[in-house]
Amino acid sequence: MVRVPSAVLSKYLLQGQISRRGCLYAAHQLRDVQVTGQPTPEAPIIPLRKKLKEQAKALKVSGKKKKAKADNQTVPGWELTVGIEIHAQLNTARKLFSGATTSFNDEPNSNVEFFDIALPGSQPIFQKETLIPALRAALALNCNIQKVSRFDRKHYFHWDQPSGYQITQYYEPFAKDGHITLYARDGIAPEDGESVTVGIKQVQMEQDTAKTIAQAGEEQWLDFNRVGVPLIEIITNPDIHHPATAAALVRKIQVLLSSVDACVLGMEAGGLRADVNVSVRRTDGDSQPLGTRTEIKNLSSFKSVEDAIIAERDRQIALLEEGGVVAGETRGWSVGSTETRRLRGKEGEVDYRYMPDPDLGPVVIGDDLVQHLKATMGLLPDAEVEELMLSYGLSSKDAMSLMLLDNGGRIEYFYNVLDALETRLGDAGSASQAEYAGLAANWCLHEMGKLPAAPTPELAVDGELYFAPTGECAIPAAALADILFFLQQRRITAKVAKDLLWAVLRGDVINIEETLNGANLWFKELSEEQYAELAKQALQGEEKVLKDFQKWKAGQSKAYPQGKLMFLVGKMVRAGPEERMDPKSAENVMKAVMEKQITGEA
Amino acid sequence: MLRGVRSRPLKLRNASYTCPICASLNGGQRRYINEYIHKQKDAPRSGLAVKDNFVTSRSFPSSTDSIPTTCASNILRNYHSPFEATVVSHLRQHVPIAGKTNMDEFGMGSHSTHTSFGAVAQASGHSAGGSSGGSAVAVQNGDVEIALGTDTGGSVRLPAAYTGVVGYKPSYGMLSRWGVVPYANSLDTVGLMAKSVGKVREAWEGLYAAGHDERDPTSLGDGARERCESGRDGYGPQSGEKLSQKGLKGLIFGLPLEYNIAELDPAIRDAWIDTARKLQSLGARVIPVSLPSTRHALSAYYVIAPAEASSNLAKYDGIRYGQPGVPNPTQSDAGGDVLYSETRGNNFGEEVKRRILLGSYTLSSEAMDNYFIQAQKVRRLVQRDFDRVFRLRNPLREPETFDLSEMDETIQLENKLGPTEVDFIICPTAPTMPPTLEEVEKQTSVDSYMNDVFTVPASLAGLPAVSVPMSVKGDGVGDNAGLQVIGQYWDDARLLFAAEQVQKVSSSGPV
Repeated sequence: MVRVPSAVLSKYLLQGQISRRGCLYAAHQLRDVQVTGQPTPEAPIIPLRKKLKEQAKALKVSGKKKKAKADNQTVPGWELTVGIEIHAQLNTARKLFSGATTSFNDEPNSNVEFFDIALPGSQPIFQKETLIPALRAALALNCNIQKVSRFDRKHYFHWDQPSGYQITQYYEPFAKDGHITLYARDGIAPEDGESVTVGIKQVQMEQDTAKTIAQAGEEQWLDFNRVGVPLIEIITNPDIHHPATAAALVRKIQVLLSSVDACVLGMEAGGLRADVNVSVRRTDGDSQPLGTRTEIKNLSSFKSVEDAIIAERDRQIALLEEGGVVAGETRGWSVGSTETRRLRGKEGEVDYRYMPDPDLGPVVIGDDLVQHLKATMGLLPDAEVEELMLSYGLSSKDAMSLMLLDNGGRIEYFYNVLDALETRLGDAGSASQAEYAGLAANWCLHEMGKLPAAPTPELAVDGELYFAPTGECAIPAAALADILFFLQQRRITAKVAKDLLWAVLRGDVINIEETLNGANLWFKELSEEQYAELAKQALQGEEKVLKDFQKWKAGQSKAYPQGKLMFLVGKMVRAGPEERMDPKSAENVMKAVMEKQITGEA
Repeated sequence: MLRGVRSRPLKLRNASYTCPICASLNGGQRRYINEYIHKQKDAPRSGLAVKDNFVTSRSFPSSTDSIPTTCASNILRNYHSPFEATVVSHLRQHVPIAGKTNMDEFGMGSHSTHTSFGAVAQASGHSAGGSSGGSAVAVQNGDVEIALGTDTGGSVRLPAAYTGVVGYKPSYGMLSRWGVVPYANSLDTVGLMAKSVGKVREAWEGLYAAGHDERDPTSLGDGARERCESGRDGYGPQSGEKLSQKGLKGLIFGLPLEYNIAELDPAIRDAWIDTARKLQSLGARVIPVSLPSTRHALSAYYVIAPAEASSNLAKYDGIRYGQPGVPNPTQSDAGGDVLYSETRGNNFGEEVKRRILLGSYTLSSEAMDNYFIQAQKVRRLVQRDFDRVFRLRNPLREPETFDLSEMDETIQLENKLGPTEVDFIICPTAPTMPPTLEEVEKQTSVDSYMNDVFTVPASLAGLPAVSVPMSVKGDGVGDNAGLQVIGQYWDDARLLFAAEQVQKVSSSGPV
């Protein structure tokens, strides 16, 4: 329905001034009042590649170079202020107010109950179970859980909103006053130092909308499977001052939500969306008030969060430096663009007419539930990273990579491998497990990172190896554990280990030990004598090289000629049966043989 | 706040609509009272009339089409619900559905003239009251024994008073609202109409026994029901007989002073006082009580109900059901070139549009605090007024102590603790007798809002109330009046017994 300005409405209601033609006709007459709210016409669409090319050309002409993002965190003389609203789909079996299931891959419009499409006479029934992931999320964000919270209706007309309003928590949200700490390892801007804490204003539960599927021409199809699916909206305080920190915050919240099992789908999968509020103010002078803020809606990747903030900050600063004014408005961002675009101004904003939902009672959350969830929440990502670094000796980079990859699937896989190793090691397990952790992390990240997608399509995503959130993957954890076990014990060579990994992926190898036995791939090392024999062979005709060692021995050169030594070891390995040699042993033997020769000749 | 609102002349489109199911009904001899929207052919006179805002999914026995649910609105003209209202399913096990009755569109109105199916009238030409006017006339004519209506601010009690039948509005949360198309959810209740209180009670007992409906979030749960029943008479085995034996002895009725307003028809005032005297002579005590917030109740109601209505009616956009609009390419909506304003502009009636505008305004960010929030505060005061005068306490609220200095001076104190507390309140259902449709036509919206002045307080407080016919002196054709009996929350069982006694007295004619 046309939104009639309140002033006009009150004139009608209080003074009875209205066209005789009827209320809504009158609204049509008043249309020109709000023309300013119409979105500005968009420029014709130019292909992205062409856009990027033109952009580069323009930069070249202007003689400026595009700043690297890392150098673009601050603008001298200006301070940026950012607040973020994150919408995340909760991991629940049912919708927020109906018993319909929340499965996303089903036949369109197959999971829809009467209330979901707002059939007359249907009523909402709050599904208590949806509180559990919501509470976990709020606890992970250190929020105060409110004993009593309520649902309100937010009114606006859109075809993806069947009832004409969204049920949300506007007046009394279920969680307030939380905070999240971001560390350097989370990828915050260097200007923020070692760590920065961002306040969480509130977390509220609300309904998702239906999915619009655009068709050729004017037609739009609607899939109501998504309508009414529970979301949480997380609203931060305006505590962020650098674009990279904003992106790090969104990334960290995603990891946090997934680690407490509150949300399953990440940003890439559309399970998370962010709106950012951006304002700038000059840093000179005493405590300037915050500038007028603009809101950029619907950002769907970490990169676009950072890029959109940089672009919007630069736009606002340019505007202010020219003596202009920033208008409080809603703006949009498309991937690959360099500027945000205006969607609607303040005067075009909808008055949502928030009203407590008269069908829904208050939600009362017991202390016992909160305590139970707190106690059973497990390790949060920050603590987990610490744990990985301390107990397993991983670098912070490796620990973070394990945590971030595959939306938590990679770290689960890593734990599965460690568990399998523990079983393999038996009684000595937990004690020596740590020794294997470094090797396991290295393989989980780097060796497996080289693998292509599994041949079976359900185990691959976008041409890469797929790790399920529970840690399943095309390489069974037990198989990798076996490989690592034999490798660590030097019963197979690194080369054999890598070949085995590929063979497992192809499905050629099921049982590692049987394969090793069958193909006789065990590492049978040469005896000391055999090594010595090979070393002597390798030294023949290398008198010139030997001289360098003699010089070093005599103190004529300072550094040990390690390069020369490795050259000799390489020659030795090439001459012998490579699969029976360990480079370390070869090096030791070579050193000893050479020592003997030098001292013997001297 | 409502001063200055002027209503447009009503268009009374008599019998402008022919129902496809009942096309052959009445032949060319239609009575132009339009009480039905859809009627079963040759329905038995012991049937059930259902107001057309209860969704129905099954067909009449004589037809294969499911019965549409229109709410008397063009926007739902051909709407067939895939499910059926809980109370309809319960009642139809005992009584066949005779038809779906006409009403004010979505329940908004006091004379059942705001309908797209032709205004309802009594055979005498008088207003049938609203919004459940069709159900009231069906009962009045003897077409059916029992009728379902809905009562938001008096929509069952007012038509009952105007047509001279019994209308009952139960405690809020007692009977399931699943399948009742909402007008204002926090006030809407299912209502029952019949010629006698006994018939109403019979139907109510069946519906009450069904207990909690898990599909209606405002239906009281089993635990709460148990708590509400304890300390109440009339529930449980043989409790009915005990109440009948007791009769009026020992009951205390309150006459609210604030209901004696200037606009009250003198004949109704006399009949009211007369009934009170007769009750006294039969062993009851009748004392004056004060409900000081009454004068604000009507304004509060006309803020809260339209606010909720504007929200509830947002779903009628023609996208999923109802009448889709024809997009007008020369006009676009503010919401992004959608077709809602055409659909809504063409298919909602004038009164519905008026209340949507009213509600949209009172909920807007600039008016919210002055209207919606204030009205909710008034609602609390109205509830407190009732809790203070009733002997039983309200099981939904903590007991409160009341300051005697706030009490009206004319109230006599029983002892130093305060005035006597009462079992029931009796007052007229409406300040006047039914106007003719010609008179209704001349009324402004505010005039017709005034009809609800005595029924709205019980709605705001969620209390049960029954309107029973009351004879007035020298009553001519169509001069019907109703006497309203209001009880404490969940005191419905006792209220219905008391109302039965009161009906005997009030309808016995002036002394």
